[in-house]
Amino acid sequence: MTENRWRPDRRQVIAGPAAALALGATGGLVPAWADETCQSPYMPMITGQEEYIYLWTLGMEGVGDGSDKVVTINVRPGSSTFGKAVASVSVGGRNEAHHAGFNADRRFMWTGGLDTNRIFIFDVASDPGKPKLSKTIDTFVKDSGGAVGPHTFYALPGRMLISALSNDKDHGGRTALVEYTDEGKFVATHWIPTKEDPRGATLVDGFADGYGYDVRALIRKNVMLTSSFTGWSNYMMDFGKMLQDKEAMTRFGQTVVQWDLHTRKPRKVFKVPGAPLEIRFGWGPASNWAFTSTALTSKLWLIHEDEKGEWQAKEVADIGDPSKIPLPVDISIASDDKSLWVNTFMDGKTRLFDISNPMKPKQVYEKRIGAQVNMVSQSWDGKRVYFTTSLLANWDKKGADNEQFIKGFAWDGKELKETFNVDFLKEGYGRAHLMLFGSSKLYSST
Amino acid sequence: MTISHIASRAMWSVACVVVALSVRSADPGAGAATETWAGRAASRALAGHPGLPQLRAPDRARLTPESVALGRKIFFDRRLSLNGTISCGMCHVPEQAFASNELSTAVGFEGRSVKRNAPTLLYIGHLDVLFHDGRETSLETQFVGPLVAHNEMANPSIGRVVDLLRTLPDYRGSFESAFGAPAGLDSIGAALAAYQRTLIAGPSRFDRWRFGGEGKALTEEEQRGFALFSGKAGCARCHVAGTRDAMFTDQKYHDTGYGWWREHIRQSPEATEPVEVAPGVRFNLGRDVVASVSAPQQADLGRYEVTLDPRDLWSFRTPSLRNAALTAPYMHDGGIRTLADVVAFYDAGGRPHARQSPLVRPLGLDAAERAALVAFLGTLTSAGIDELVREARTAPPDNW
Repeated sequence: MTENRWRPDRRQVIAGPAAALALGATGGLVPAWADETCQSPYMPMITGQEEYIYLWTLGMEGVGDGSDKVVTINVRPGSSTFGKAVASVSVGGRNEAHHAGFNADRRFMWTGGLDTNRIFIFDVASDPGKPKLSKTIDTFVKDSGGAVGPHTFYALPGRMLISALSNDKDHGGRTALVEYTDEGKFVATHWIPTKEDPRGATLVDGFADGYGYDVRALIRKNVMLTSSFTGWSNYMMDFGKMLQDKEAMTRFGQTVVQWDLHTRKPRKVFKVPGAPLEIRFGWGPASNWAFTSTALTSKLWLIHEDEKGEWQAKEVADIGDPSKIPLPVDISIASDDKSLWVNTFMDGKTRLFDISNPMKPKQVYEKRIGAQVNMVSQSWDGKRVYFTTSLLANWDKKGADNEQFIKGFAWDGKELKETFNVDFLKEGYGRAHLMLFGSSKLYSST
Repeated sequence: MTISHIASRAMWSVACVVVALSVRSADPGAGAATETWAGRAASRALAGHPGLPQLRAPDRARLTPESVALGRKIFFDRRLSLNGTISCGMCHVPEQAFASNELSTAVGFEGRSVKRNAPTLLYIGHLDVLFHDGRETSLETQFVGPLVAHNEMANPSIGRVVDLLRTLPDYRGSFESAFGAPAGLDSIGAALAAYQRTLIAGPSRFDRWRFGGEGKALTEEEQRGFALFSGKAGCARCHVAGTRDAMFTDQKYHDTGYGWWREHIRQSPEATEPVEVAPGVRFNLGRDVVASVSAPQQADLGRYEVTLDPRDLWSFRTPSLRNAALTAPYMHDGGIRTLADVVAFYDAGGRPHARQSPLVRPLGLDAAERAALVAFLGTLTSAGIDELVREARTAPPDNW
């Protein structure tokens, strides 16, 4: 059951304007709080039981219709279809489906194709159990002036901020943040600073590569961070081929950029080698920090504010044995800022780090989820954790190890216990990637 | 001075004027044909250039400003791939000398693997054989393969491309204007060929020294490098540099041992793969781990794949060395990253095996000689490539 109530803590202050906006838009919306804890604080969230999981799924040749699609999983406890797919909407073609995000009013879900640059916007409010394709933006590259690979969709009030991964000129890693209105009208492009054009940013280590990946913000500090991955040529390439391509391996991001959230101006560029990916800010009122993990060097980094009010980047822990390149991918922070799930793709494991002292994370648990694992999402109370498998179409494992699933687990603080498993190959869906939570309670007054 | 040298000098003077005219900033839309970028590009292509043989063009009358402009538009048009994502310009990147410096081997439709390095298109109009295995001999027909290859642009048929170019609104009238007929296989090939034949830049320092009489255009070390190139090292036996022109290729096929060696590695790889995960951070990854995320790698038998003649096994076309300093990584699979390493490969006699060309043998070069060879290769970089980039980017693709 969705817990629809205002919580008398600082998040109410932060989310209040956005929640009020959403209330006005729906006429009956009762704001709730975060589901997966990475969502933009501007949007209404679910602190109770999520009802649906929307999976942005990559089409796979020879599996079902071969098309990218949004698959809806019913996770309502006690339902006869609990842990089963209850809807599927194909968009046509394989676009390298990757990440997705809701608008700040949480009525529409934006999903991106890293290959074709198409953005598919789904209406999830009219019938939360059955999303429908509402609009397609196929002018992303042209709108943005050459950004390629729409990745993270981060909700700002009335705006969607999209981090891209590449560019139209050389399809390498130099890229931009691209801003649209909620209605899908292009607003602005903000290029990631490079050494040649730092755009006013301080280059802490004298280095800036212009690469992009994730974007997240700590609103009360007016701080936005972006991380850095690699360009189209690499993320579309066969993973094994790339590992053996000495030239291609030099084309990975090595930076995290601190931005002024409100003006979208870059302030500082930190050197964080090895492709820093997902960024997760702490939620507590004194949590002036964010974690990121580096995919290739297998490290946890803390981007934090120091005692002088300056933001810094610090390597704080290894993830597994870095020499074996376990490839940390998605991370998920608990709402109490005490723990962090870290998935490693190559060994198919999830690891839980105690981050009570963010400067000294300590692994306290691990479990093999499958032959490969990529995304992890947890409920606000941390009692339910979900995992999916696909990283990128040509990076996924080959043969029998190419397992594709969503698995749900109950977490009691000691052990993950599986509650359901949907085999995306057997069911004909494809490669299971990004998860977002849905609930009909978001759009009703009861 | 011989008569041929006098003629060469005279040609040099005229050509310098042509090149000077052609490198003015682009001014699309200006009145006379020679005042548009495409007009200047067409004039440049058709002019004589010192150090270059005559342009290979079956019908020079079809190399017009209209056909050049149309060819450029097609070259960068993503819509001409099955999913509207891939264009010719994605592998032949203007800012990377119309090659790809960032990948050893190319990546095509939906990221599918192409087994060979994307070669530079600079001076492609002066070559008789195209692709690393010489499977095509004409720019007019070369374009079909990449457009329909499953792992390149993946069109289900070439007819689909013709239909697209006949129906896309922004192409309306352009084929009729350039060729007097609607889009067809012949005119698409002619347009692409016309644009690619304009990819001629200004003279290199070597051209100025060798064909322009500028004795000081090359340093003493670079001149020593050329002497080695033509003499002791024997490079010029395949990378031909004549007295009237120099394309630095015999346009023939040779087995240096490299292709054989790379195929041997593919079939019998080392137990571990060294992977540099960040600058200066290297790990040895187990072969089983690499294999777990690897699609099967295609065999590469070189020219044999065109002729099925066992004598052609592992033979590849001699590439031109013009602009070699800009076109890393090297060899047909981009497996060598620097010119110094290429020189070292040949100095060591390539990779000896039973079929290896007798032209390749240990050279016994010392460090100074190897350095001189690399220095000489650096003199083959053309002036004015920036202008070709500006022309390529004269307008953004219509289909961003």
